[in-house]
Amino acid sequence: MRGTVAVLVGAGALALTGCAAASEDDVRVVVTAFEDPGGTPEERCELLAPATRAALESEAASACADAITDVPLPGGAVTAVEVWGGDAQVRIGRDVVFLTETGSGWRVTAAACEPRGELPYDCELEGP
Amino acid sequence: MSGVDETAYGFLRNNALSLVFGGLFLATLGGQAVSGVAQVNAEQRAEGLEPMALLDYVTSSSFMVDVMENWQSEYLQFFLYVFATAWLVQKGSSESKEPGQEGTESDREQQVGRHATEGSPAWVRAGGWRTTIFSRSLGLVMGGLFLLTWSASAVTGWVAYNSDQLGQRQDAVTFAGYLGEADFWNRSFQNWQSEMLAVGSMAIFAVYLRQRGSPESKPVGAPHADTGATG
Repeated sequence: MRGTVAVLVGAGALALTGCAAASEDDVRVVVTAFEDPGGTPEERCELLAPATRAALESEAASACADAITDVPLPGGAVTAVEVWGGDAQVRIGRDVVFLTETGSGWRVTAAACEPRGELPYDCELEGP
Repeated sequence: MSGVDETAYGFLRNNALSLVFGGLFLATLGGQAVSGVAQVNAEQRAEGLEPMALLDYVTSSSFMVDVMENWQSEYLQFFLYVFATAWLVQKGSSESKEPGQEGTESDREQQVGRHATEGSPAWVRAGGWRTTIFSRSLGLVMGGLFLLTWSASAVTGWVAYNSDQLGQRQDAVTFAGYLGEADFWNRSFQNWQSEMLAVGSMAIFAVYLRQRGSPESKPVGAPHADTGATG
């Protein structure tokens, strides 16, 4: 009985962490493309979560492709990837990017983020 | 009841209590899953995020931690109750032994050693370490299940907590860090307190209240001061 429970708990923990490990590569690919200095504004907008894209357009009162050119996205090497459930955080160059998992894959919810100690990151681009 | 196989009917009747509660467990776990995904999806829509499928929800850390935090407290409750009722009494309670009988009792009373009978379980008749373990098997299994489910609660709670942290644009914490977070201890204590209340209430209510026909109660006409009688 206890052995069965131990196996079930172990399998559950493995599933939770295993899914996260498999997602890390997907997250890395999306963020690298999003911050690619050679990428177009349209390509970046495609990688935004819908609510984040709507917030950007609403705040700038312009189309996403125009508004996103004002967001500093320096690119660089990915130094850390954290995937927890349907949320992820990537450190790339000097930037920190947050993502959520959607039906179309991982999408950016916040970027150009600065740490503020115990407070949430201060992000130039973010959704609600 | 014509057409019911007599052997099958006998099995169902003989195991009705376990079967009914097993069924109720599955039905209520299903209810938790359906209501839980509805709540999560209401929050997702409010934040402009996509709703989750039921299968994704029941394999998510947020569902698992909600399940595990309740399971661990139930097994803790029974683990403590099994041990506490061996050593502590409540005068007048059908949940208690008679005052003066505190402790593990004699081999004769417990039908072990040379007092084991033909019908005693194999590990009782075997003697030695098998009897020592079997004599404590109920508490050991309850305690073991508590440790397993509490550990599972910690791991799933850690994943759910970090998912929330990232969703709120905050950094994830280490497992050791999570064990020091209020989230983990609040989840534990809020479940533990309700279990302690439930067993404490049952022990004292059983002194003064009756449920006719239930082995959890004294016979209806038994005096309040009678301890340990069931009917």
